[in-house]
Parts: sequence; C-alpha cells; structure tokens
Amino acid sequence: MTMSNSRGRLFGKNVLDGVFRAAPDEDLFLGELLVAVDEQTGRRYLFRVVDVSYGSEHREPGWAERVAGTMLSDDARGEAGAHPLHDQGRRTYRVADCRCLGYLTPPDAAGRQEFRKPKSLPTQFSRVVAPEPADFEFLRTKMGDLPFGHLRSGETVVDFEVGIPGRSLASHVGIFATTGMGKSNLMKVLIGDVLQAEGRYGLLVIDPHGEYRKELPRHPWAAQRLRTYAARNLPNASRLRISLAELTVDDLRTAYDWSRPQEEALFELERFYSSLGSVRQGTASGLAWLLPFSQLDDLPGFREVDLGNRVALNTLQVVHRRARRICDLQCISADPAVSVGGSILAELEQGRVVLVDASGLGSTEEVLVGSFLARTVLDRWSAAYLDDPELHERLPSVAFVLEEAQRVLSSNSDRESNVFPRMAREGRKFKVGLCAITQQPKLLDAELLSQFNTFFVLGLADERDRNILRSSAKQDLSASAGEIQTLMPGECLLVNLEAPFAVPAKVRLWDDVVRSAAPPPEPRAVAPPNISALVD
Amino acid sequence: MTDGTGGESHAWYSSYPYVIMVRVEQATIEQAAGRLAALLTGGSTRVADPFATNDLTYEAEPIARPLPRLAPPPEVWAVDGGQALVADARCLQLLVTRAARVRFVGDTCVLEDEGELRATVLGGAENRQAALAALSVGGIDPSTSVDINLLRDHDEWAAIARSVEEAEPGAVVLVDGDLQPDWRIPSTFLAELLERADRRQVLLTAVTKHSSLSRGGGPLLGWLEREAETLLGPRAMWWAPVARTRTDVGGVQVVAARLDPDARFAFRIDLPLSVDPEPALGALSALCDDAAFPGYPYALSVADRLAACPGWLRDEVWSELDDHFDRLGVPLEVRDRAFADRHSLMERA
Repeated sequence: MTMSNSRGRLFGKNVLDGVFRAAPDEDLFLGELLVAVDEQTGRRYLFRVVDVSYGSEHREPGWAERVAGTMLSDDARGEAGAHPLHDQGRRTYRVADCRCLGYLTPPDAAGRQEFRKPKSLPTQFSRVVAPEPADFEFLRTKMGDLPFGHLRSGETVVDFEVGIPGRSLASHVGIFATTGMGKSNLMKVLIGDVLQAEGRYGLLVIDPHGEYRKELPRHPWAAQRLRTYAARNLPNASRLRISLAELTVDDLRTAYDWSRPQEEALFELERFYSSLGSVRQGTASGLAWLLPFSQLDDLPGFREVDLGNRVALNTLQVVHRRARRICDLQCISADPAVSVGGSILAELEQGRVVLVDASGLGSTEEVLVGSFLARTVLDRWSAAYLDDPELHERLPSVAFVLEEAQRVLSSNSDRESNVFPRMAREGRKFKVGLCAITQQPKLLDAELLSQFNTFFVLGLADERDRNILRSSAKQDLSASAGEIQTLMPGECLLVNLEAPFAVPAKVRLWDDVVRSAAPPPEPRAVAPPNISALVD
Repeated sequence: MTDGTGGESHAWYSSYPYVIMVRVEQATIEQAAGRLAALLTGGSTRVADPFATNDLTYEAEPIARPLPRLAPPPEVWAVDGGQALVADARCLQLLVTRAARVRFVGDTCVLEDEGELRATVLGGAENRQAALAALSVGGIDPSTSVDINLLRDHDEWAAIARSVEEAEPGAVVLVDGDLQPDWRIPSTFLAELLERADRRQVLLTAVTKHSSLSRGGGPLLGWLEREAETLLGPRAMWWAPVARTRTDVGGVQVVAARLDPDARFAFRIDLPLSVDPEPALGALSALCDDAAFPGYPYALSVADRLAACPGWLRDEVWSELDDHFDRLGVPLEVRDRAFADRHSLMERA
C-alpha cells in the first residue's frame, strides 16, 4: 500500500470529533474533507477540518514565542535566517481538529458501501488521507435534480456535482450571505435549474433591482420557461397590474408598519366603505375603497361626519398619505377587471419561472406586491389541496423568492395578517415554499427559520448571524463557525435533510451555466393537416 | 547517608560527597536575604566552586575576550544520560537509566539513539554487588556505594567512549555536564578516553548549563556576563579561561563562554588541556545558532530530549513490572504496601 497520500495520523478526541497530527508543512484548510482509514475494521471515517493549530515537541511554556522572538530580532537586524530552527520538520507539526461526519462501511460482496453517522471511534493512530472519488459516491443519490455547483474540500473543488432535490423548494430554502458573497449568483443558478426542469417546479421571483430581468433571459431555456412582469414599462416584459380590489388590509399590514390606532383606523375605514357598498362609490371588495379615500379633500369633515370622530385626525392623515401613494403606483389599478394574478398563477401551474421586476417600487410597495402575489399563490395551491386533490397532485411545487426576507419574516412581522409566516408554517403541505434571501439571518424569527429545511450558508461575518443558523440548521453546524467565517465568494455550505452532513460546495458561475446549458429540445413538428383527406 | 537533620539524603546532595555543608544560621528570611545580597553584590573576587569534586586551579581574575565564530565541525556527536525512579520502597528501589546519543553530519541528524533502558535494583548489599557487577567500566572499587548518579554517569560515559570510537577525525563529541565522571569511576578511564580522543583527533568537550562556579560567593557566570556586556557589548560572543583541573588525567581546562550573540546565558565549558580553546570554542559556537536556544549546542538539546525519562516512560516501565509481578505471583497487596507513594496518598487525604 502506498503511503504517499498520507496527510496525518489520528491521535485523539472522541466519537464525534477527531484530532490528527500532520507535518509542519501540511497545507490544511478549514472545511477540508479528509478520510481516516481504519485498517482494522475496514471503515473509512470522513472528517471535516474545523480548526488547525501549531504543535511542537517542546513542552516548555513559551518555547514557540521564544523562537519567534529570536527570529524577529534577526529580522529587525536585517539578519533573517541567522538563527534557524534546526530540524523544524521534526520539532514542530500541525494539529487539525476535525468533526467526524460519519463512516463508510467496508464494501459488501457486491461492492456496495453504506454511509453511517459516527457511533464508534476509529482505531487510534489511523492514517488520514485525502478522500478518493469513491468516498463521495454515497452522496450521489442525495444531490437531487437541481445541481448548483461542485463539492468543495477546503479550497479544492472536487469533480462531484452537488445539488438539491426540486421537491425541497416546497420545504423552504434560505440563502444567507453578506454582500458580495454570491447570493444573487446562486439564486440565478437555481432559477436556471428550474427553467430546465421541464415544468416540474415553478418559481415566483420578486426582483427588486431588475438584476434578474437583465440576466435570466440569457439562459437558453428562458424563451420557453421564463415570464417577466414589470411594475413599469420595460421591453420584453408584461405590465404588472394589480387591482386594488385584489389587495387586502392584510397586505397593507404586511407591507407597512402600522401603529395600533392606525390599524384600528384601517378597519374603521374598511367597515365604513363596506357599508356603503357599490351603491355610493361604485367600488368592489378588497382595497378598492383606497381610491375614494385617497381622493378625499376634506379629511377633518370626513372624520367628523362619516367616521363619527372615532379616528384621530393625525392617524387618519397617515393612512390617507399612504393610500394616495399606493393609488399613484403605476402597477395599481382601480379597475377590478385588471389583474395579472390569474395569468401569473397559470404560468406557475405550468411550472414556469415568473419574474416580477419590482424596480421602481419602494421597499414597502415591493412587499405589498409580494404579499399579494404570495397570498394569491398560497390560496390557489391550498384550495387545490383541500378541494381538488387530483389537481393538487398535478400542480408543480412552487417557491416564492424574496430578497431581504427579514422584512417579512422577522419576529416583529410574525402576525396573523402576514402571509409569509403562514407560508413558512403551512406552505409545505400545499407544495408552496419560500426561498428567503437575506444578509441578516439574525433578524429572522427563529421559529420561522426552523421551518426552513434547506440552508445555503455563504460567507457570513457576523457571529450572531452564524449563531442563529447554527441553532436552526437541519445538520450540525456547531463546529463550522470558522469555516463559515472564512468562506470565499461562491463557496457555501449546503445544509438540508437529504445529505447526512453540511455539504461544502462551490457554486457554479451563472455565466458558465448560461454557456454550458443545453438548449431546450425543438418543439415536436406537427404534420400539416391533410385537408384533402377531410374532404370527401 | 543522612544530612545531619535526621532525614534521608537527597540525590543532589549525595552527588557531592566530598562537600561538607556548613549550615549558616539565618533565623529569618530577612536575615537570609541580607546574606544572599551580600554574596551577590559583595566585593570579594575569589573564584571557587563549592561543589567541585576535584581540585581546580583558578585564574586569578577571569577576563572575557572576544570569540569569533568559525566554521562548524563536519561531524558532531552529543551524549546525555537520563534516569528515573520507577518503584520506591525506600529500602528497595528500582531505577532505570539510559544514555542517548545523536550524530549530526553537517546540518543533518543521521543518528538518534535514545539508548537502552537499564534497570537496576538498589537496596541491600546483594543488590549493590549485583549492580556493580553489571557495570561495564572496569576498575570500579567493588566495595564502593552505588546510587543513581553512578549508574547514570556510567551509562553516559560508556556512550561517550563509544562515540569517540565511532567519530571521524575532526569530529566533536559533546557531553552534557562537565568532563568529570562520577567520582567512583576510576580516573584511568577518563585518562584513557581523553588520550584516545586526542589520538583520533576527536574533540571531547562538555557544556554545563547551570554551573556552580562562584566569584566572591556569587555566581561567576552571571558576573562574567555582566562584565563582558560592559566590556565587549551586549551582542558580543566571548570566552574566559576560569580554571584548570584533573592533572591526573592529562588536564582539563574550564572556561566560560557565550556562544551566540543572542545567547541569554553563558555556559561553563570543559575542554582537554591540550586543546587551543579559542578555535575550539569558535567552531563550537557555530553549533549554537538554534532559534529555540541560541548559545547552546542544538545537538546536545536533542540528546537531552532523547535521554529524558518522562512520566509516561516511568508508567510504562511500571506496567511492565506489574506484568512480571503477576506472572511471579506477587500479591497486589504486597506490591501496594511496598511501593505505594505514601506521601502523595497522605497529601490527598
């Protein structure tokens, strides 16, 4: 047996953790995957490096500091190397702390290996080696049909494709990273996968800055599987038009921060306009009353006469200002017949990607639109689940993609009126999931976060962000804080229920996805009708 | 042997049997501090070694002189001895000793020999005779006492002799300590060894890390370090002749030397009298550039590490001893009553 690939020797720790000694020049990386070969049992234990430190044969306190001090003095005098550390390779070494991810059983008669969670100690002083391709074979069946990148071992990209199952979209996906770490690229890669999924899954993507609108059409499948709506006039995009009648007070409460008196005022106004019905104002249901209310000139008089002074004037003024802003939005229509809700639902039912360009909308208006669309989808899928199980069976899993998700999933926003927490809690059984993207997972409600079965953890500098992910992730991330902190752009940890551990990955670049995606198959040619055959 | 207070003698004491310790009565710490201060800073200049086992002829006033660093010797051997008390029933003791050797050619260590562990039972006349009979160095008085110092030094000097034999001409054999084997080892042994080394053009030299040489009652080396710094500068390498001794073996010269510009300490170095000290020390200094301990020959620190008998080694020997006791049917209770560490047991209680 060749020993040339030996990276170290395991010497300590327990069932879940391992420590091995390596040569002082062994280049070990946080997150690197290594295998401890137990010659006695034939098992191969898979380890992930979680920390690397210095070790020395010298036990005197301060030995290493003294050596460094001597060398530093040499440097200061311009005599670097005057005091070498003789036999450094023997006197010093590296110590790698590892988390045991599990072990591969010895191959059975058919050559099959099974991956099991760690429950026993590898033989002490087992050789630690770089993994071989066969060591990851067990992962292949767990990587799903939405590939997004390659397995990563430390900084080395392994020739092994990783992904998530499309069905996991319905059990909610979180993408967490600080700015510049590759959230948008990852999202585009996942959207590309859904475009190519031939209708098995649908995505409704709210695009706050128009970034996806510019990029996604480059995908070879976009012409067939992507539909774009925009809140303003844009080429190659349908106009997003939402009727006031489709919106609800709950949408308003989701989008805006309302004080208790302001909420009471909303209900008071809704009651008042409902009592008028269509007789006086010609309005229908929903928030249609916002339009006549926004057009009021005499608020004090309205308050006194129509509301019987039950609402404070300044409260009414706040609601009035917001009503005017909403009614002025290009994407809002007073005409109850105008609505894109139906066509968006139809696209999603066919497993398409629906992109809603919300550039030009403010953040709150974006949430207002998002709330309406999310509610529409959830209501449609839940109605099918309850009333038409066969139809529901045929419906694809869909996910609602929302950036800056902390706006609607924070603990403050977890109200009955907010559709997003409801989607997080109930969406799974209806095949409706959330794909929440945020730089600040610490702002998300912990209970809601625990509903997310898939985490993509990219580089996160804030310890509080890492802590909440650790406590909510479906795999143990307790030892991966250092790795998460040092992730480079495009590097991530995939945490889901399919893989038996957090899978380190390197996300593909969107440009590469676009370049390498096979074009969709040509539509099947339809034979021209043989008219003469029909004519006797 | 007792120390005059009714207690058993300690190892450090028993290694200097010719010294008569005079208790200087200091009733309080303050008085003792005053006495120490007077010795450390006093005006006396008399050079001495209160623990020396042989008569030394001292220089009237050791003076530091610059030491240029020369090319290192092509081959270096280093030897050090180690020992451990494995089982202690006071009237019976099991000791293990070994002598480690290393050999460097150029910068490369080509031999690391930690030496075989030698076990010796001490206590009672029979054991003493058996221990003496097991020693390979000839000429040791069969009626002499045996203790751990003799056992360790015997092994160490046997290893030194082997190294001198195996060394190529021009090599240096480094010894940890001084060129003074245990007093029970006959001087003929050292005389023959020094002569053999000289004939083979091998330099035999010893380095003492913590010397008992004194000046005016205070440490000589500390005084020399301060003097040399004033005289030659803080980063100077220097050496100073201190004494001569052992005319019975052809003569040994004792010097003090600081062997690296960054050395924290100067050391006592013993050289054969026939050797010109300055070039020998200059070559030796080239072996003392290790960043971990500038000023001390790296090869010796390797030998020191190899020879050491750490706790785990003692435990392993004890386990092996236990296995043998099992086979020999020594009841556990008998072992326990004989070898239990009563001090530590009582401290724990």
